[in-house]
Amino acid sequence: MAESSSFDVIIIGGGITGVGTARDCALRGLKVLLLEKADLTNGASGRNHGLLHSGARYAVTDMESAAECIRENRIIRQIASNCVEQTEGLFITLPQDDLQYQALFVERCREAGIDAREIDPAMARAMEPSVNPSLIGAVKVPDASVDPFRLASANALDAANHGAQIRTYCEVLSLLKDSGAVVGVRYFDRKKKETLCAYAPVTVNAAGIWGQTIAAMAGCEIKMLPAKGSLLVFGHRVNKMVINRCRKPSNADILVPGDVVCVIGTTSDKVGLDECDNIKVTPAEVELLLREGCSLAPELENTRILRAYAGVRPLVASDDDPTGRSTSRGIVLLDHETRDGVPGFISITGGKLTSYRLMAEQTANLVCRKLGVNRKCLTATEPLPGSEKHSNPDRELSIAFKAAEGRHGSLTGKMDFSQKSEVLCECEHVTRAEIAYAVKTLGVRNMIDLRRRTRVGMGTCQGSFCIKKVAEALACELGCPEMEQEFIREYVQERWKGMTPVCWGDSLREAEYMRKQIGRNINDEI
Amino acid sequence: MQEHNISKGNFEQCLKCNICTQVCPMFEVNPHYPGPKQAGPDGERYRLKDPSFFDLTLKYCLNCKSCEVACPSGVKVGDIIQIARLKYGRQSNPLRDRMLASTDLVGTVASVLAPVANPILAFGPAKRVMDIFGVDHRRTFPKYSGEKFEQWFKKNAAPAQSRFKEHVAYFHGCYVNYNYPQLGKDFVKVMNACGYGVSLLEKERCCGVALISNGFGKQAAVQAAQNVDSIRKAGAPVLTTSSTCTFTIRDEYRNVLGLDCADMASTVELAVKWIYEKIASGKVNLRFRPDFHLKVVYHTACHMQKLGWALFSQELLKMIPGVELVVPEQHCCGIAGTFGFKKENYGYSQAIGQPLFDSLLAAGADAVATDCETCKWQIESGTGIPVLNPISILAMALLTD
Amino acid sequence: MKFDVVIIGGGKSGTLAAYKLARAGKRCAVVSAGHCLGKTFRREFIALGGTFLNGDRVTGGNVEGGRVQYVRTENLGENTVLEAGHFILCTGKFFSRGLISTIANIYEPVFGCDVLYAQDRSEWTVDDFFAKQPFENFGLRVDDSSRVYVGGNVISNLYAAGEILAGEVDIEQSVEKVCRNII
Repeated sequence: MAESSSFDVIIIGGGITGVGTARDCALRGLKVLLLEKADLTNGASGRNHGLLHSGARYAVTDMESAAECIRENRIIRQIASNCVEQTEGLFITLPQDDLQYQALFVERCREAGIDAREIDPAMARAMEPSVNPSLIGAVKVPDASVDPFRLASANALDAANHGAQIRTYCEVLSLLKDSGAVVGVRYFDRKKKETLCAYAPVTVNAAGIWGQTIAAMAGCEIKMLPAKGSLLVFGHRVNKMVINRCRKPSNADILVPGDVVCVIGTTSDKVGLDECDNIKVTPAEVELLLREGCSLAPELENTRILRAYAGVRPLVASDDDPTGRSTSRGIVLLDHETRDGVPGFISITGGKLTSYRLMAEQTANLVCRKLGVNRKCLTATEPLPGSEKHSNPDRELSIAFKAAEGRHGSLTGKMDFSQKSEVLCECEHVTRAEIAYAVKTLGVRNMIDLRRRTRVGMGTCQGSFCIKKVAEALACELGCPEMEQEFIREYVQERWKGMTPVCWGDSLREAEYMRKQIGRNINDEI
Repeated sequence: MQEHNISKGNFEQCLKCNICTQVCPMFEVNPHYPGPKQAGPDGERYRLKDPSFFDLTLKYCLNCKSCEVACPSGVKVGDIIQIARLKYGRQSNPLRDRMLASTDLVGTVASVLAPVANPILAFGPAKRVMDIFGVDHRRTFPKYSGEKFEQWFKKNAAPAQSRFKEHVAYFHGCYVNYNYPQLGKDFVKVMNACGYGVSLLEKERCCGVALISNGFGKQAAVQAAQNVDSIRKAGAPVLTTSSTCTFTIRDEYRNVLGLDCADMASTVELAVKWIYEKIASGKVNLRFRPDFHLKVVYHTACHMQKLGWALFSQELLKMIPGVELVVPEQHCCGIAGTFGFKKENYGYSQAIGQPLFDSLLAAGADAVATDCETCKWQIESGTGIPVLNPISILAMALLTD
Repeated sequence: MKFDVVIIGGGKSGTLAAYKLARAGKRCAVVSAGHCLGKTFRREFIALGGTFLNGDRVTGGNVEGGRVQYVRTENLGENTVLEAGHFILCTGKFFSRGLISTIANIYEPVFGCDVLYAQDRSEWTVDDFFAKQPFENFGLRVDDSSRVYVGGNVISNLYAAGEILAGEVDIEQSVEKVCRNII
């Protein structure tokens, strides 16, 4: 038996909802265990657009979601300031769109409490030089750009700081039942290679798209409608503000700036549950994304595309809409005791990244009610680690320190720059110090985990230049130098997956170079 | 759609192969310099997100463009770095930098005071004083000529030029005007032998290369605009005898300063290229003295390598029967204009130049030929071998009746 | 400027070819767009009196009667061309921009030589990074003497060597073959 196998609440799933719930419960003094079968944000949380919605997009079709979004948007900006970039957003109307929609749009935004301001197209062009100059209407809204990896990481860190146990690479195999109630879980710890049990009066299913499988373990049925969404990452940050299309929500109508890149998305296609672990971006999707992206920012026509990626939205079926677009994005909190006669088991699903904190709050409220605990939710006001106020960046600080600071905020002070200042990933200025910190404090176990926390390999070289150096450093910091080759292999394969759908022009040249550097190990005479 | 990928300076086309860093002369000797890839395209991506990501170590870039010559992706690494320096850079010693960069002002004053200025500049204790201001005492300023080239030309040469049917205009540059009018005189002699008369521009300012590299972008743009105007008014082809002046006017004016002057690329030419083309096409025929012998080792200046015109200089020299030409592997001389005069840079300049000095000395030649005047100062002080512009060698070898 | 052979591309195959031909007494020029691999051969080539144009690119050529008469380069400008009896194209694959790929096609930028490649872009790569990638075998179609095709017709004095060739390429062998045909 493990040292502690008895908890107040067990949370299954290390996506943003899971870690958010873990944080909320931990801040209320509960003993929390979170189990994630891979790394944090392995699912939809790690494959989305990185957009902190103002809610404007939903104002016309789903007022409730819109109002929810704007409230949460304001909260997240406060508590997670180092994860959010306050870019603001534009909703543009192009000549082929219906300008009448804009008026309706603005009205509904105001109703939902969203500060939507109509601005002159010339003004919009001045604010956002990359926007399609032929626009005939523009509305400014408080959209923002958010880094979901950092956000999840910060939540997990805070939860751990308050006593929660966050165990990644632990896969739930079955739910333990007693007299029809769920009393715990049986899980396989991939690191220790052993099967263990953990017990708690309440178990939360926050497993996103895999929630259906988890619920089935308790004999409950949740029908997920997995909706695949594809996105393209461009080589540099073309736009300063989020650019949206002012029309009924459709495919590929948002261009989001994020750190040093920008991302166009998304598409929406139904996929089978069994396909969810292995989705690929198709050439048709690439062409659609590119075309629609160019109508938002014409410069994209000639901008290098670094990679394509796809995620699966954990939509819950309420009616059978094939595109999944008009499905409500509302929060779905299921108390299986009342719904299915299975006590001790809750499922939280639906929703979106922007409203994760509210989802977590609602879930934690229900958990506390079941436990008879009377504690208030603190997550709306307590800042996340890294977001505490810190001194302004000084120009004399090294570029790498500033880059790390952009990622980790005030926690950058914990990194050992005096000893390990060697820059290993040059595209993104990641030092050995940052890697060491990520291993020590952020639970990094392999290159992909590392990438999520530090942007290693997310630059224009996609790892071709730095991967060997970084793998060697990571293996060393983890104390397992023999894993270096495996790290390289695994990581480059993951990068490759995103490169093949956009393999032309400079990205094909990069692919050729990457193959020579890593694939074939040729020593060129220089 | 997506026929080519385009970005400013092509920074996004960078594949991170790091070939530029391998050929960077500064990176080789200076551990503080992050190298052209990091200073250029890597840095640019972050500077677009937030200007505070500008790194002060970019001041070490020599602007030699070796990175651009080597880049397989067409990234304008050198331009990206220069533009960033102009946009975000800070000067550590503005008074000294302004003095070094204001060649017209200093040149005019020093020429007038030449009899006094020259000995002072060479005088030990005075050099120590300059050292305190940041100009390394080991660096010797080139002597200033008492009479500016422009003055000599107007008095002695201009009248004779009217007898020629065809003309070229001459952008003489600061070095010829204030320090070494002899090169200008050689140029006139050679052009006249080619059957062309020479005229000066209506108003010539220093090309501004030192202003650009020292961060005085606004002043550089003012002088550039005046030069572009004068060049356009000239009507004839405008020739120069300096590879750096040519490069600055043809390329840096539009790529770094952002001036609208693409026509400069066809109007302004280096004299050696123009003369070679005329001889190769049979329009010009030069005759050389049978008693002229010189063993010459040719040094390709960095900007000459960037222009890709060293071949013209070399072929021209080979046309002289008495010339034995040796061409070693190209290497930067290290001075990079005003860069090498600065106290904090002197060590790096010399470290970069040393392998070149060694290879030039090993050639055992009578003279070094090169198209750049600052290379001339550096090589003369580093090797003691006399350095001549190919035009001067041509002038010496010409058979005149 | 007149030469016996103009070698377009100063990489491994270009410098090797230049060196071999210079050794055999041919007057050669190499036009190299970037940093050249094969520094040793370059040095030897220059020491043999070869002309090496560094940082320059051939922009196009004049083809008449199925033969290349001369080529132009970016730096030498409008008034100077490189004439030769033979030309060798060794500009490499995509990395060195010997072949250009767009979202829709692949082409050879200097002469528009015929390129062998899969028309469907999804067939350019395979999912396993460590397996041979189809694009690594794309390249120029050549005849038995290693001469290129343009629009289905052989150009009698334009050869290709090195990675620009389609299929599995042995650089030394491909260079040797071309040199044998020229010398």
